[in-house]
Amino acid sequence: AEAMATEWNVSVWGKRRAFTEHVEKLAELVSEKTDGEFTMNISYGGLSKNRENLDGISIGAFEMAQFCAGYHRDKNRVITVLELPFLGVANLEEEVAVSSAVYNHPAATDEMAQWNAKLLMTSPMPQYNLVGTGTPRDELAEFEGMRVRATGGIGEAFKAVGAVPTSVTSSEAYQAMESGVVDTVAFAQHAHLSFGTINRAEWWTANLNPGTVNCPVVVNIDAYESLSDAEREALDSSVPEALDHYLSNYGQLLKKWDEVLEEKGVEKVELSDEVIAEFRAKAADPIRENWIAEMESQGLPGQELYDLVVKTLADHRGGS
Amino acid sequence: MAGSSTVLSDSSLISRLDRTLLPIERATALLSGLAAFSLMFLAAYSVAGRQLDRTFLAPLFDSIGLMDGPLPGYVDYIETLMPLIAILGVSYVQREGGHIRMDILVGRLHGRALWLFEFITVLCMLILVVALVWGSWAHFDRSFDCARPLCSRDSSIDIGIPIWPSKLVVPVALAVLLARLLLQLAAYGRAFVLNVASPAAVPLIQSVAEQAAAEAEQLKEDSK
Amino acid sequence: MSEIQIGLWVTGGMLVLVVLGMRVAFAAALAGFVGLVWLRWSGFGYDPARFGKALEISVKIAGQVPHSKVSSQALSLIPTFILIGYLAYYAKLTSALFEAAKRWIAWVPGGLAVSTVFATAGFAAVSGASVATAAVFARIGIPEMLAAGYNKRFAAGVVAAGGTLASLIPPSAILVIYAIIVEQDVGKLLLAGFIPGAFSAVIYAGLIVAIAVIFKSVGPPVTGFTWRERLVSLPPALPILAVVVIIIFFVYNPFGEAWGTPTEGGAVGAFIVFVVALLRGMRFRQLLDALLETAKLTVMIFTIIWGVLIYVRFLGFADLPHAFADWIASLNSPPMVILICILLAYAVLGMFMDAIGMLLLTLPVVYPAVMALNGGENVAAADSAFGMSGPMCAIWFGILVVKMAEFCLITPPIGLNCFVVAGVRDDLSVQDVFRGVTPFFIADAATIALLVAFPAIVLWLPSLA
Ligand code: NA
Ligand code: NA
Repeated sequence: AEAMATEWNVSVWGKRRAFTEHVEKLAELVSEKTDGEFTMNISYGGLSKNRENLDGISIGAFEMAQFCAGYHRDKNRVITVLELPFLGVANLEEEVAVSSAVYNHPAATDEMAQWNAKLLMTSPMPQYNLVGTGTPRDELAEFEGMRVRATGGIGEAFKAVGAVPTSVTSSEAYQAMESGVVDTVAFAQHAHLSFGTINRAEWWTANLNPGTVNCPVVVNIDAYESLSDAEREALDSSVPEALDHYLSNYGQLLKKWDEVLEEKGVEKVELSDEVIAEFRAKAADPIRENWIAEMESQGLPGQELYDLVVKTLADHRGGS
Repeated sequence: MAGSSTVLSDSSLISRLDRTLLPIERATALLSGLAAFSLMFLAAYSVAGRQLDRTFLAPLFDSIGLMDGPLPGYVDYIETLMPLIAILGVSYVQREGGHIRMDILVGRLHGRALWLFEFITVLCMLILVVALVWGSWAHFDRSFDCARPLCSRDSSIDIGIPIWPSKLVVPVALAVLLARLLLQLAAYGRAFVLNVASPAAVPLIQSVAEQAAAEAEQLKEDSK
Repeated sequence: MSEIQIGLWVTGGMLVLVVLGMRVAFAAALAGFVGLVWLRWSGFGYDPARFGKALEISVKIAGQVPHSKVSSQALSLIPTFILIGYLAYYAKLTSALFEAAKRWIAWVPGGLAVSTVFATAGFAAVSGASVATAAVFARIGIPEMLAAGYNKRFAAGVVAAGGTLASLIPPSAILVIYAIIVEQDVGKLLLAGFIPGAFSAVIYAGLIVAIAVIFKSVGPPVTGFTWRERLVSLPPALPILAVVVIIIFFVYNPFGEAWGTPTEGGAVGAFIVFVVALLRGMRFRQLLDALLETAKLTVMIFTIIWGVLIYVRFLGFADLPHAFADWIASLNSPPMVILICILLAYAVLGMFMDAIGMLLLTLPVVYPAVMALNGGENVAAADSAFGMSGPMCAIWFGILVVKMAEFCLITPPIGLNCFVVAGVRDDLSVQDVFRGVTPFFIADAATIALLVAFPAIVLWLPSLA
């Protein structure tokens, strides 16, 4: 490559927050390791709408971007395996492990290559637990008729146990809760904090763990391949460090979460193992069967991908 | 501005083409209005469904399968409708001279000078719209793949309906606008070359229309 | 050439195109598109062999914007609010409102004009678009005022100015647009518009009475309505109240347990006005007219939205907003002085631009700067420059900017409301309307000064929510 400095445009959205800390860290590390020869210019929403970041990568509008699989399942069918309900992922480390296993599967790399994209790393999100108003719901029968703000696979899971998933955008979630349009909202902790839903909450399901969204960071393949060897090495070697930074940062946020719950007097609801097992049987199993059948009918290795997740989870737990 | 421009017609080819294109454009605008209208029913249905589902009538509506809770995918439907509402009538508005502009300068021009300015700005628009038809088609094309179920390569966030039909609205609407701009370019070009006082098929600024009427009066006077 | 320089050249080029009379939406989009190509090609070192690639990438970036930006649930409030306005006209709500206001208030000096202002304010509570409001009252208010011997220009000015109230008094399309650009709560912003809107109406009314007292011939009082006549005029105007109550229920949840979100509220309000229109004998033909008019105004507004957003996308790649915010924050002048300069700049810009276009063009750059000036998005009231928290500052600045944008609707040379009034009335030229509306500049200037000096006028209601 030329001696010219390399500058990448990176498209993320919203504001700088826990969810984007690994991207910020990556930019910092890469610049350090190349003595400022390779820099990243991170834009929060200035370059694209979040649901079109993959399109932007595909046309070469920018070199790196973050998106969530659930925004557009038909664009990224393979990695939606990671958004199936009740996969049993318990923490962010496990989320990183299963994500990277799936990202390295040829089916995933092939599908992303059709968008000229290479999966670089995940943005591990905790499980989408509920905050709710009224009396805590800790039995399956109590989910019947519950109006829940939940989208995608998690919404389907709640529907399977008789709840009513309701479409409101995340920015309208607080108002929907306040106005009684929904009784409960499913978000990760940082979103409960930033969209204010925690301020209306009387309880929070600490261990329902119904699932989460999967939000990878991808790079444009042409841009990646035209990096000099030193630059590519700097980028690749920074990924684990950036993820470590993300995890420790999110760990602090989770600590703060507990304080917020206490401060606002929000009850931590622990569901019994039986209730969770019942929920899984009713919701997770049929949705998963359905997903696998749908993938297989489109010529994608659905079963193999699901098995990969289960195996990785077992290996990860066995290894640690 | 709204209500202040007129489009003349005569027996020329350009005017006949204008009158051929107009019904198509009016239909697109009406479709856009109907889509806005349907938004209203969609909300009324969803809200009524949600509220009734909380009353003693819920079992009744459950059994007929209507208004049974909030409409699933309400947001997805609205997002699908919006391009229809917001873009489809773009050519009709151009035909009527309804897109906002600043006319302090062109409002003072007459005859050839005016047609030259109109020709140049329409040409600029034409270049832009050619680029946008290409770009919006590419945007559609990325979401469309008939090797897949429902040809869908991009789906909505909540209930996963295909997005390509809504993306297709944009290049279609812009292609109609392209035809309109070609027509206006020809009309302004002809007016410039032949030095026509009040050409057909293009929106005339009110002062120009008034001028045309005054000239017609003048002709009547002369022929007496 | 640096990215910032390209940004400035392209912006200058856009202004030239606008002055030359190119339709604003397309001038902005063309500037944005050319800017994208320029920026990308300069990134390729102006290599002729790679111009095609730069062009292709830019075409595809620009081509995403119309669909991408328009397919938004929050923006669906705009066609809904416009539709309500046209349906309310066929539901004869506007004339009923005017009739009631006339019978109750016309006896004061300039009373018919005051009635017109209060009727537009009432109509503003169901209509989201200033232009539509001005068009409707040009048909209803002006003939009555002329029949009562009012000065023609004055009557036209009253309607053009009264029409602007629709943008502050909720529902308001332009407040929705502001909320979307700056990513703030739509409900709180709409709520914040209420008192400043009513405040503006009262100031207009005071000004009208003052003028009518000083210049006796301008607006003679109209007397002779009996109490009976006054009372029977009220029921036909009542459905407006019903719609207002519904929108309030949806938007503000006064009793905690409300019915839905603002976007739903707007649509349900439209539905009710539609039913009233049917009951009052709206014909199918008239419905089609209402739909066609709604489509025309909606498409016109949305074309500006996506056109300008192509330009804004280019700004994003050129990183201009960031640079501007840094520059503003680095200035040594007191924040209040800078804010007033920004508002004055809007007044000047507004003379040449349409309101929505102006907001869309400037906010992506100006809003971050104002927030930085106050001390950041999350600043606490105690640590801030303007004595209010970040979110409250966003609301306050929004109302100020929207009031400025309304101001532009009546200032020459592109005061859209004046064009609309002149367009509806064959006997009025645009110059007549501009002359008639001049006194209202003073009223607006006074209102804006008060809103700047006493932010509580704006912030009191939203701080309760
Ligand atoms: Na209004
Ligand atoms: Na103006």
